[in-house]
Amino acid sequence: MKRLLVLGAALALTVASAQQMQGNPNLRGEITVWSWDIAAKALEANIPGFNKLFPNVKVTVLDIGNQATYDRGLAGCAAGGGDLPDVYSVENNEAEVFWARFPNCFTDMNTLQPAASSLRNQFPAFKWTELTVGNKVFAMPWDSGPVVMFYRRDIYSQAGVNPATIRTWDDFIAAGKKIAAATNNRVKVGVIANGQDDEWFRMLANQNGCFYFNNDANAVTVNQPGCVTALETVKKLIDAGIVMQGGWNEQIQGFKAGTVATSMFGAWYEGTIRSNAPEQSGKWGVYPMPASRPGGVRAANLGGSALAIPASSRNKEAAWAFVRYALGTTEGQVTMLKQFGLVPSLLAATRDPYVAQPQPYWGNQRIWQVILGTLGSVPAARGTQFFQEARAIMVKTQADYVAGRFPNAKAALDAAAQQISQATGLPIAR
Amino acid sequence: MKRSATPYLFLLPYLAIFALFWAWPILESLLLSFQNTRVSPPVWNLGVNWGRILGDAAFWDALRNTVLILVIQVPLMLALATALAVALNSQLLRARGFFRFAFFAPVVVGAVAYSAVFRLLFNQNGAVNAALGTQINWIFDPVGAMAVIITTLTWRWTGYNAIIILAGLQSIPKDLYEAAEIDGASPWQQFWRITVPSLRPVLLFCLVLSIIGTLQLFTEPWLITNGGPGTATTTLGVYLYRQGFQNINFGYASTIAYAITLLALVFSVIQLRLFGRES
Repeated sequence: MKRLLVLGAALALTVASAQQMQGNPNLRGEITVWSWDIAAKALEANIPGFNKLFPNVKVTVLDIGNQATYDRGLAGCAAGGGDLPDVYSVENNEAEVFWARFPNCFTDMNTLQPAASSLRNQFPAFKWTELTVGNKVFAMPWDSGPVVMFYRRDIYSQAGVNPATIRTWDDFIAAGKKIAAATNNRVKVGVIANGQDDEWFRMLANQNGCFYFNNDANAVTVNQPGCVTALETVKKLIDAGIVMQGGWNEQIQGFKAGTVATSMFGAWYEGTIRSNAPEQSGKWGVYPMPASRPGGVRAANLGGSALAIPASSRNKEAAWAFVRYALGTTEGQVTMLKQFGLVPSLLAATRDPYVAQPQPYWGNQRIWQVILGTLGSVPAARGTQFFQEARAIMVKTQADYVAGRFPNAKAALDAAAQQISQATGLPIAR
Repeated sequence: MKRSATPYLFLLPYLAIFALFWAWPILESLLLSFQNTRVSPPVWNLGVNWGRILGDAAFWDALRNTVLILVIQVPLMLALATALAVALNSQLLRARGFFRFAFFAPVVVGAVAYSAVFRLLFNQNGAVNAALGTQINWIFDPVGAMAVIITTLTWRWTGYNAIIILAGLQSIPKDLYEAAEIDGASPWQQFWRITVPSLRPVLLFCLVLSIIGTLQLFTEPWLITNGGPGTATTTLGVYLYRQGFQNINFGYASTIAYAITLLALVFSVIQLRLFGRES
């Protein structure tokens, strides 16, 4: 009991400290932030609140696109830290390559005031694993990407499909066929970037407790049973003719035109739908991703990011103040959740009253409760420093498998594992 | 100072810049190709990259795609460019200056801008499908994506080559044609017997430029198809960039760069053997 009390007190303390931040009018200067899409817009939305506390720091957010942020960041680090901003956005999955190859490119956040380690308890532990090397902290956790199905209520009900009855991928395929039939094959229930990305495979693999590498980052696990099931499901979905093949832009065009009735993505996609299709307010809803087998896990994570401060920044103090305001205060995190649907990983923010509110855009569904409710079931997965390398191989393998160039999913993934192992030097796990 | 040193003194600024920005990177990348650059700091490991390249399926895919473009796109483009040059050279054509500019214009357009336009055109809901009345998913189909890349490249570079060939056409002495006419040669015969042989050195020049350009091809596949679907349009240039700047494996990227250089060398020797002897 006593222990519980102490824990409660500690929790109350962290909540209090997370919610408040001291301003400082003496802190001056200009900082630049690199980010992408709605993540950039969300950071921008935090500038007014930040400037109330720090009126003399001018923040400029540049939206340079997701892939370009990563590519330019690596190129900048490779060039010895030139041409980098003061605050840099990095996806958790991709983060380790930076610390592994360029340990001096980013500021150790424990050398700043207050030290990052003092904020440790305010975030779930898993968010720190890819951002920490030894006792150095290279980035601060931002959002996470619990996967859900975003669906069009009107189209589903027109086709007589009740999302509550979709529990497995087989149910989903049946529903997709019903919707196709009801709309003269005009409407698809998903967009798979087959050949350009493998995000569906990653979401499904994660759901089944499998990923490219094991969580110790010392072996290739992409040909294990959970991944085999995931790849089989991707092919089943495409073969059923219920999904469209397309990338990020095609997907947005699709849901705007009403030809896509479901998007499966990390919850951060909420903001993408809402800000791109404001006219569809009230027509959308959310349900958990289907499981691979009855009663199976209905949760996964896709994406989720962090903010780092390049070592070349001339104004680390101001950059750190901005990072702590945007990510380390409930106010900052809830601003991003409200406007752009970025799911906070700051624990205090996940308990904010806003999370429990019904959302008008989503037909007054309490979507954040549904989404955050899956967080506890997300199996752990780690990007490692070889994430991009493995991904490129998997994108190709998936496309070849879907095109029928392998007898079965296991054979495809055995080949992929072989290639990933050859490319990375890591052994294939038994 | 000796008089003989004077020219070298004048050359010195150039030689210094050449050494710093050309010779040194060339040497440095050769050294890098023998290092494992995936650890910090890089360590010497003579076989790590050269041993990998021969068994690397992705490298062979990139090589196959590049050769495919070489074999299909380059001859197609040069044939079109020659036809275009002959047309542009015709006395019958009015407003020749305008047409010459119009066909040359694509080269002036920024690669990023026109790549974005082509990606939109070949979108599944794009103008090309609308015009053809089809529903082809160009970018997400391996054959379709390659067709888009080849079309794009041809659109951009045909006019450029046509202008070079046009210059070649204008250097052919007029009296050759006059003599042929008197001998009763048809325009078709004149084209094959006079124009093409006289153009040989110019065509060879265009061929060499196109082959080197193709071996380095990066912008269009990167921006339009991102090398996909799968590796269907991944060229050697794209694969090199991926290894270098996405996986930050400069050692392996350098190995690929040297492999491309070796290929360029082989192609050049073959061309000179086949076409270069007489000229």
